[in-house]
Amino acid sequence: MKHSDSISSIQFASIVTGTMVGISLLGLPRFVVQEVGNAAPIASLFGILCSLVGVVVVTMLGKKFPKQTIISYNKIVLGKFLGNFFNIILIVFFLLLMGLETRQFAEVMVGALLPSTPIQVSIFLIIFLCSVISFQNVSSFAFIHFFYLPLSIIPLFLVLIPSFRDIEIYHLLPIFGHNVSINDFLNGSLRIGQAISNFLVIAMIIPYMKNPNKSVKSGVWGFLLGGLIVFSLITITLGVFGEVTILEMFWPALVLGRMVQVPGEVLARIDAILIISWIFAVFTSLLSYFFFSVRGIAEMLNTEKHRVIKIIGFLAVFCIALIPQNIYEMYDYILKITTVGVLLIIPYPLLILMIAKLRKKKGDTI
Amino acid sequence: MEIVYDYGYLSHTTHAISKTIAWKEGMNMSPFFKKRTKKNKVPTIPESKILENSTKIISPKLEDNIYEINKIFQKNMDFLIRKFNLFGKTPAVLICLKSLVSTEKIDRDIIKLLQEGEPLSDPSQQVTQYIINNILYFSDVKEVSELSSFIKAISSGKALILIEGEEYGIELDVVEKEKRSIEEPATERVVRGPRDGFIEQIMTNISLLRYRLPVPEFQIEETEVGKRTRTKVAICYMDDIVSEDLLKEVKMRIDAINIDSILDAGYIEQFIQDRPNSPFPQVQNTERPDKVIGNILEGRVAILIDGSPFALIVPATFNQFYQTSEDYYERWIISSFVRIVRMAALIFSLTFSSFYITVLSFHPELIPANFVVAAASGRQGVPFPVIFEVLVMEFAMEILREATVRMPQQVGGALSIVGVLVVGQAAVQAGFVSPITVVIIALSTIGSFATPSYNAATAFRMLRFLLIILAGTFGLLGLAVGIMLVLNHMLSLRSFGIPYMTPFSPGNIKSLKDSIFRAPFYWLKERPAENHVRDAQRIGKKVKDTTKNNFLDNNGGDFDET
Repeated sequence: MKHSDSISSIQFASIVTGTMVGISLLGLPRFVVQEVGNAAPIASLFGILCSLVGVVVVTMLGKKFPKQTIISYNKIVLGKFLGNFFNIILIVFFLLLMGLETRQFAEVMVGALLPSTPIQVSIFLIIFLCSVISFQNVSSFAFIHFFYLPLSIIPLFLVLIPSFRDIEIYHLLPIFGHNVSINDFLNGSLRIGQAISNFLVIAMIIPYMKNPNKSVKSGVWGFLLGGLIVFSLITITLGVFGEVTILEMFWPALVLGRMVQVPGEVLARIDAILIISWIFAVFTSLLSYFFFSVRGIAEMLNTEKHRVIKIIGFLAVFCIALIPQNIYEMYDYILKITTVGVLLIIPYPLLILMIAKLRKKKGDTI
Repeated sequence: MEIVYDYGYLSHTTHAISKTIAWKEGMNMSPFFKKRTKKNKVPTIPESKILENSTKIISPKLEDNIYEINKIFQKNMDFLIRKFNLFGKTPAVLICLKSLVSTEKIDRDIIKLLQEGEPLSDPSQQVTQYIINNILYFSDVKEVSELSSFIKAISSGKALILIEGEEYGIELDVVEKEKRSIEEPATERVVRGPRDGFIEQIMTNISLLRYRLPVPEFQIEETEVGKRTRTKVAICYMDDIVSEDLLKEVKMRIDAINIDSILDAGYIEQFIQDRPNSPFPQVQNTERPDKVIGNILEGRVAILIDGSPFALIVPATFNQFYQTSEDYYERWIISSFVRIVRMAALIFSLTFSSFYITVLSFHPELIPANFVVAAASGRQGVPFPVIFEVLVMEFAMEILREATVRMPQQVGGALSIVGVLVVGQAAVQAGFVSPITVVIIALSTIGSFATPSYNAATAFRMLRFLLIILAGTFGLLGLAVGIMLVLNHMLSLRSFGIPYMTPFSPGNIKSLKDSIFRAPFYWLKERPAENHVRDAQRIGKKVKDTTKNNFLDNNGGDFDET
């Protein structure tokens, strides 16, 4: 019997999409529109294509080292000291990202669903959910991603498709925006890169695939599906609300959800149901971050004691989530952290790939 | 019989040891062998002390042997020792436990023949051999020389004959156990389908399986579990379908059981399941032989236990727990519809009451405007918060259910009328609960009854309380977190290495055809892939394989071929 600790290509693609579709979606349209105005669709397309380079490079690295995770081949390519240094950066990045995105999630919860519940409760519940899952088995992680993907995507499309009739074409024109400078345009694309920089998680998973050689193809497909969701969300939100109105909202996508009417008057408002499916999406991306951190630390320390690491990670993330004083400060932190993230998803893997080529390092083939 | 069994036992253990070592060397941990850390060579069923003390060989002196056996069995009320003269001259003795043997057979077929038989003419021939070959007409006869195996045989219901001057005794199988007749199983009724069910005797159960699968590939292997009860446990499988690894794993887990008694299949189930702390059943049980055969043919392994009318089926995925054998006997559209109804009922029973709580106490904006008045007026005067109301009602429902199960059938009807109708109606009229709550609770309880598998339904009913508490304290977030906790647990569960949520995640299109939706037979060409079957094809492409006894022709009804 083929042991079940192997991940199929479809599961791999669903991990990429599931990780990308997450918390940032609610606020993302506003951030992009803030920078580039009406050029948001074009800018996001550009950002997605740039990040696609990152996906290809990361998966190619995975093909080159089909039995090692990023933690191991960092050490092989860059040497032990430098490799470990970058490993720590990666892990700290993911822990910080998880903490801040958890906070963002909790802010949405307080703002939209549970106004009188303390913010710590939401933070606690969602991190707790991530830390009760066993990371001993990589396949369980893949099963969870695969199972939740339709649950989080289908409701999203159910919101997006009825919104088509509310799109005003003049909201989207001119497609290159009003006097957008190259700098602004790149900044807008950068926002997209920041929002989806989390796909780096796949570098931790490729060695557990049934066939790591297929990782490039399925990684790209998963990324394109996630990219399509991001792109259509931004375009539709902009088309429905227009530049000016979006800038007045905190979470434009949530408002979009509130506008949806269900025929038959089963439930008066559908947005609560949407939020549940959004919680699924949030959970899968937070789980990916936590997976990366916990398994990364375990691999660095060469131990199997995931439980201890999980408890420490839980406390760390909880504290990080409570650092920002308010929602503005939180977004400030997130923008700073994710700028580092963009460096980690595109230039950094390219660098490693180049060094690996120069130093003629290669992992064991299967 | 015993010797064969011993060899089997040894080979299983060595298999297990080599397998564990192999797995430890391979770095990737499989969920399969996670728990097995060490393997000792101590036999799981040691010989009882009485047997150890008397490993003597049968002595030619009859009195000595009788003395030894008397020492052990004398006090028992059903112990029978019958002295007679073999062929009218040599003293001999027949020993057995009266309660387990058929006395009629002993009188007519053993003692009569031995007393009246012709003495052997050739003195060089052995007396026991002569008796077996020429006098007795028993099929299950053995010649034994060790006293210890003699004693073992007596306690398992065999009759023994010892003869003066002989170093061998004769062991005869005259066991006759009490058994009930074959009835329709009470737990798994069907509208359409076979009506026979398993009973307690393992041999009857095996015969129920055998006549349905009259092919040599159908194998039934036997072992003994339980230090004291020595319960016969048999595993049934199709030799050319079942995955070898699965078979080895099942044997290994059964061999590893070290307990004094096995009183029901449930004992075995609790020892061989993957995660003992999970609320979900990871082994399927059934009383229906047709269901067992269906599962065996899908590449699973069935475990029969002597003394239990339930067969266990491994591996079990969540998919199997809302299916019945009847789904395949009825036309596919009907079966698919019924399965969708069952699935909806299951989800209902898990989430309905907690969703009601969240909506009413946290998110009243979700209620449609027309309904707000009805919901509010129903709750007018109810002194408790919704969560308390629902919790109390759910708990009362559980009590009622448990009471109905334990009651004698004649009282059960009265109980349900008084409990459900009178108390429910009175509670609403007294302003204790709101009428909507009663409706919701009733729906969710009925939903759990619609699940064919009792243990899976119980798991969901238990988890419902967790969801109610979470939803009552944290609203929709709590509900979502609760649902995710349950789902994540199910997604990480495994039954004999097979992911529990199999056709859904990891996805498998072929198995998905036989999940919530039961596809027509011409779509189900292959056996479920998750069982790693060796022979995948189930439905042939041609009309029918050519057999000797086709109705029309020898070429499988292929008229066009000339």
